[in-house]
Amino acid sequence: MKSAFRNAYFTLSRSLNPNPSPNFPFSLHTISAIPLFHSRIFRPLSTATPPPPPPPPPPYSSMADGAAHALPPSSSLEKQFEDFRHQLDESGSLRERIRAVAMEIESATRLMHANLLLVHQSRPIPEVLEKAKVQIEVLKELYSQLVEVLRECQGHYYRYHGDWRSETQTVVSLLAFMHWLETGILLMHNEAEEKLGLNTSEFGLDIEDYLIGVCFMSNELPRYVVNQVTAGDYDCPRKVLKFLTDLHAAFRMLNLRNDFLRKKFDGMKYDLRRVEEVYYDVKIRGLAVNGDSKEDQGIPGQS
Amino acid sequence: MALRPQRLHQLAGTTLQSSAKRQRTMSTESYMKDAFGKYAHYLNELNDKRERVVKASRDITINSKKVIFQVHRISKYNKEEVLEKAEKDLAAVMGQYMSRLVKELQGTDFWKLRRAYSPGVVQEYVEAATLCKFCKTGTLLKLDEINSTLLPLSDPSLEPLQINVLDYLLGLADLTGELMRLAIGRISDGELEFAENICRFVRDIYRELTLLVPDMDDSSEMKTKMDTMLQSVVKIENACFSVHVRGSEYIPLLGSSDPSYYLLGAPDIEL
Repeated sequence: MKSAFRNAYFTLSRSLNPNPSPNFPFSLHTISAIPLFHSRIFRPLSTATPPPPPPPPPPYSSMADGAAHALPPSSSLEKQFEDFRHQLDESGSLRERIRAVAMEIESATRLMHANLLLVHQSRPIPEVLEKAKVQIEVLKELYSQLVEVLRECQGHYYRYHGDWRSETQTVVSLLAFMHWLETGILLMHNEAEEKLGLNTSEFGLDIEDYLIGVCFMSNELPRYVVNQVTAGDYDCPRKVLKFLTDLHAAFRMLNLRNDFLRKKFDGMKYDLRRVEEVYYDVKIRGLAVNGDSKEDQGIPGQS
Repeated sequence: MALRPQRLHQLAGTTLQSSAKRQRTMSTESYMKDAFGKYAHYLNELNDKRERVVKASRDITINSKKVIFQVHRISKYNKEEVLEKAEKDLAAVMGQYMSRLVKELQGTDFWKLRRAYSPGVVQEYVEAATLCKFCKTGTLLKLDEINSTLLPLSDPSLEPLQINVLDYLLGLADLTGELMRLAIGRISDGELEFAENICRFVRDIYRELTLLVPDMDDSSEMKTKMDTMLQSVVKIENACFSVHVRGSEYIPLLGSSDPSYYLLGAPDIEL
């Protein structure tokens, strides 16, 4: 009996081939014998043929082993999955609301970015900043909405984190750039949180997002330097170079994993090199302002 | 929530708030160094924790795999003892390794570090636990039941680690692969009805999951799992089918007491 099953098993490994193997032709006898002797076994097969079978009631109730209760588990199983569906529906709609806010954040940052781009056209910095700062208030409002939405699911900050992550990184990069234009120093993590009204302990700015945002900001600097020099500000490269060197040195204190932040940090050295080149070009031609007369001013780009 | 950001506030708040004032007196270099020292500390802690979680998770994976292999050693005759051993091993996984994981994860870490522990806890532990339960009772081990076993491991003052729905469902999707192996094994061992039970069970799971997949957070992973799952279901169904069709030729020949049938059938086998 056992070996018969084994034979059956070996044939079933080829079972996708529906042709009966020549070794085992169906004889008239066996075919006619099947319904007689095995109608019991065939019954479940016929219920199985429609592709999405409803949980069928067991055609026979006695089971050889303990796995006998086919019907009760089906209903309790359905109950559990029903609950899951509710839960997932809820988290899905929550996510949609988060996405909606994140998209508004994105469009606000785009406006802000467009305003900030005017610094490359040598517009006076205060004017540029004033326009861009309007958006900070908008962003603050949007982040408070986000906090509101997330208040509904305490502890799930990082579950939905991905939905506002890249937007927030851009926000940080723009804020940091503006802050640097204004003061010549780096925007700190807690200052960034403050600007966005995120001082609550329930919704913090993720440090990694902050650091990535700072890396994004550094990408903006080479272009700024080039355009400032073109516009006649020859002292700018020195200040930017100093800032970027310090920033790079500070980043080197971090033990980074092989992740996105690491990749962005690795890119920072190209910004640094570009700024060095500009500084070199200016210096070697004697264009750079001699001496450290403007050193303590600390405000870049105001010549 | 937000334990980590909060912690950083404590760290950073005191020194950084005055940074604007200090810019006159301090060089830009040192104020950045201060702040980045704190960020470095935060990142180190986080990475260390992540590593510990990954390690614990890997231990859970290895040992849950052992439980699954143990379940596959089942046969008609040793069912009880095999499952008893499997359950004992599973309890050991819970006690030794899961408790280590639980100690590491608190508050926001559940979701932040999910990627680090999800494969071990989900794909293997949920799989092993549900497999054991099914073999024993023929029912599905529910998420609530798993989570209630996790409760005693946590420090009562903290929010306990609970497996979330997504991870549980991912584990269930993997379970069907093991059930497929089990079903094939049972068929070759002659336990046809057990195999059919598995078949029904797997179909139920597949059907329920079909409804849930579109709602899941990260449905691409689940979609590939669903494809594999369908393959498993089809394999079991085909195996059952083959045994019905072909097995029916042999059972009476070898085991039947009906001599006339034996004689009639005899010329057909030429092994």
